[in-house]
Amino acid sequence: MAFVEVRRIGRDFPGVTALNDVDLDLELGQVHILAGENGAGKSTLVKLLTGADKPSRGTIRIDGRDAAEHPDAFDLIAYVPQELNLFPHLSVAENLFIPYERSGFDSATVNHREVRRQAQDYLDRFAISARPTDLVRNISVSDQQLLQIARASTNKRMKVLILDEPTSSLTQAEVDRVFRVISNFRDGDHAIVFISHKMQECFAIGDDYTVLRNGRKVAAGHLADTDEEGLIRAMSGEELKLGENFRPVLPPGGPGETIMEVHGLSGHRFKDVSFDLKRGEILGFAGLVGAGRSEVMQTVFGFRKATAGSVSVLGKPWKLGDTSHSVENGVLYLSEERKHHGILPLLSLRENIGISILGETLSKFGISTARERSKVLEIIRAYDIKTSDMEKKIMFLSGGNQQKAIIGRAMATRPSVLIFDEPTRGIDVRTKAEIYKIMKQLAEDGVGIILISSEMEELRKCASRIITMYSGRVTGDFDTETTSNETLVGAIFGAEKKNVA
Amino acid sequence: MLRKLLTRLATNQLAGVFVAFLIIFAISASLSPYFLSSYNMSVVARSLAFVGLVTIGQSMLLILGELDLSLGVIGGLCGVIAGILMVNYGINPAVAMSMALAMGATLGFVNGALVTSLGLHSLVLTIGTAGIYGGVTLVLTKGVAITNIPAEIQFLGRGSLFGVPLPFVIMIAVLAIATFITFKTRFGRYMYAVGNNTAAAKMLGIKVNRVRVAIFTLAGLLSALAGILMVARLGTAQPSIGDTWVLPPIAAAVIGGVATTGGIGTPLGAIFGAAIIATIENIIVLFGVSPYWQGLVSGTIVVLAISFDSISRRYIRREDQ
Repeated sequence: MAFVEVRRIGRDFPGVTALNDVDLDLELGQVHILAGENGAGKSTLVKLLTGADKPSRGTIRIDGRDAAEHPDAFDLIAYVPQELNLFPHLSVAENLFIPYERSGFDSATVNHREVRRQAQDYLDRFAISARPTDLVRNISVSDQQLLQIARASTNKRMKVLILDEPTSSLTQAEVDRVFRVISNFRDGDHAIVFISHKMQECFAIGDDYTVLRNGRKVAAGHLADTDEEGLIRAMSGEELKLGENFRPVLPPGGPGETIMEVHGLSGHRFKDVSFDLKRGEILGFAGLVGAGRSEVMQTVFGFRKATAGSVSVLGKPWKLGDTSHSVENGVLYLSEERKHHGILPLLSLRENIGISILGETLSKFGISTARERSKVLEIIRAYDIKTSDMEKKIMFLSGGNQQKAIIGRAMATRPSVLIFDEPTRGIDVRTKAEIYKIMKQLAEDGVGIILISSEMEELRKCASRIITMYSGRVTGDFDTETTSNETLVGAIFGAEKKNVA
Repeated sequence: MLRKLLTRLATNQLAGVFVAFLIIFAISASLSPYFLSSYNMSVVARSLAFVGLVTIGQSMLLILGELDLSLGVIGGLCGVIAGILMVNYGINPAVAMSMALAMGATLGFVNGALVTSLGLHSLVLTIGTAGIYGGVTLVLTKGVAITNIPAEIQFLGRGSLFGVPLPFVIMIAVLAIATFITFKTRFGRYMYAVGNNTAAAKMLGIKVNRVRVAIFTLAGLLSALAGILMVARLGTAQPSIGDTWVLPPIAAAVIGGVATTGGIGTPLGAIFGAAIIATIENIIVLFGVSPYWQGLVSGTIVVLAISFDSISRRYIRREDQ
């Protein structure tokens, strides 16, 4: 009998059935992949598994006990959410052990020396480089990610660990650290549930899998019996060609004129960066997290200040440090942080898109709602944004649809340069392919496209040319087709090689 | 059916607060025979007019994610300045009032400029400037009211148009403009964008600081207008004008659907919130509740109104997911 047995579970919300008739078995000593597109019901299932929400029907048995009758059984299950969920102004040690009752420091006063000592044990075990006394806001993102997992494991009763996209903001080396931690738990007779949109990771770490689609279980079994394409087919319900590449077809005679030229640009966390962007190509930027790629682009866009260097667009000198000037003159930046830099959460989808086309919808009597609705509807159709109603608040749309809305909003202003910063983070495979297609189409239509990505596969698939950065400097400029992966990976780890294409 | 209607009401915040106002209004009318009398209605409308003007400004600041605690003393200071200019210097009342309005706009601008240029938190900054502005009022007046306000301007505070008190008419006109700005203009849309997500607004190319300073300035101007109208109504310029215009407008805005965290709500909703408070305060008086009890009763009702709002919002969120 499996350690966790979920039988015919369902959850209804008024008007929608989020989950129906789902079975799931979690075995100790196994890593279980939970796969599905955004909105397939994974989060709902996780909420039921952790006791955060109650099922409308069906049963959950944990360690042989019915969890509905023994809610303390949920203590055996720990959950690490995708979003960082730490106390930024408290120390690493405090973050590990709060609430103190759970971690065994439940005397009236807390023995801080003992807390720090035990914290160091955890940090060593998880290979976290931060010190117990560091404030969490000062440690690296990957350390924070690992700290979240370490915190879950301070629950001594934990037997099941659910990880929701633990690697989405990590580089390969850091992913390996997470995988080592997962393997240790697995070998220590724990059950792991691993949720990720990255197929290679699923196959690298997983034993069993369950695929959800539209709230139902559509496939389950051993990963050894399937392959990436099989899993994707189950998730999307249709055939998707993975090997396809999305590099723009260059016009005969190679790329066109230079759209943007960056010369000797320096700023926060980067120095002396030069590159040029030509019409018709997608220019990729590869590097580790913290290599300075986002900072360079945010500086070109005017969100951050430049300390030296110059930029010219279409041959004319470019004004730095003024985002309104950039937007008005057709250079747009789509941030990797959709939540913090992209959406206006409390406004409707219509208002979110409408804000960039006010020039077309304003009349003498103010914004024409009818005109705005029809223009926005065109964008919703063109970018295939799935929503029941354009008046829905954008925060209730799935991540992929938010991303498409932001791209549609940007494109409505007809920019000449569009900078995508990690456009597919946390987005399911099918929507990823749609975004790749949009980028390819835009490039072929003559928009200059810059793509920052931490996934080498994504860059190889989309970019015509790849610039590598390491620690705030450009380390290379490569033609994608003629460059090997080893060369690229070498360059993002600091090997200085100028294979100028 | 009822459930659906309730959901609809709860989803459309404006309709929700409007219905809440109608219910409270109807209950008040059925509880007291004097409530609907034209005299009493004009009392309610007049008191709503002054606090309403401040509420419009404060609600727009709250939508922006800001707050100005000096709006009350700006009203008082500008009323006093108008009085001093008219009485002590014999300046033409129209000119004096324009100068006082400009003063209000300037004081609001100073708040906005300090908040944006120094990156200060508006709550803390305006506690400070409220002290300064209020202090100037006391220095100018030594705490004594300025009397002998020219009779020719008193119609602004005391007159009526077709039986409707003039200050109320002015407030409704301002509200109409503010509503047009919020729903129909580029500036209004930018205001919501900044209140929703400042970084995203910047990424969209919006001149965030300009929007913020503009609304601080507008709020200062509206407070000055309220202060001047109050002087016209009283016939004296008292330094204490505006003392009660600080917290009630914030409560009114929240009852009317404006989030203190910004990004959502409308000035129109905030005025309905203010109307709810004004109605409740009026009915307490009509009931002859002892003045010692009035604060307790009206405070309790405000807490109930906000709790109801929060509970209904939780209900919608479940529906929406």
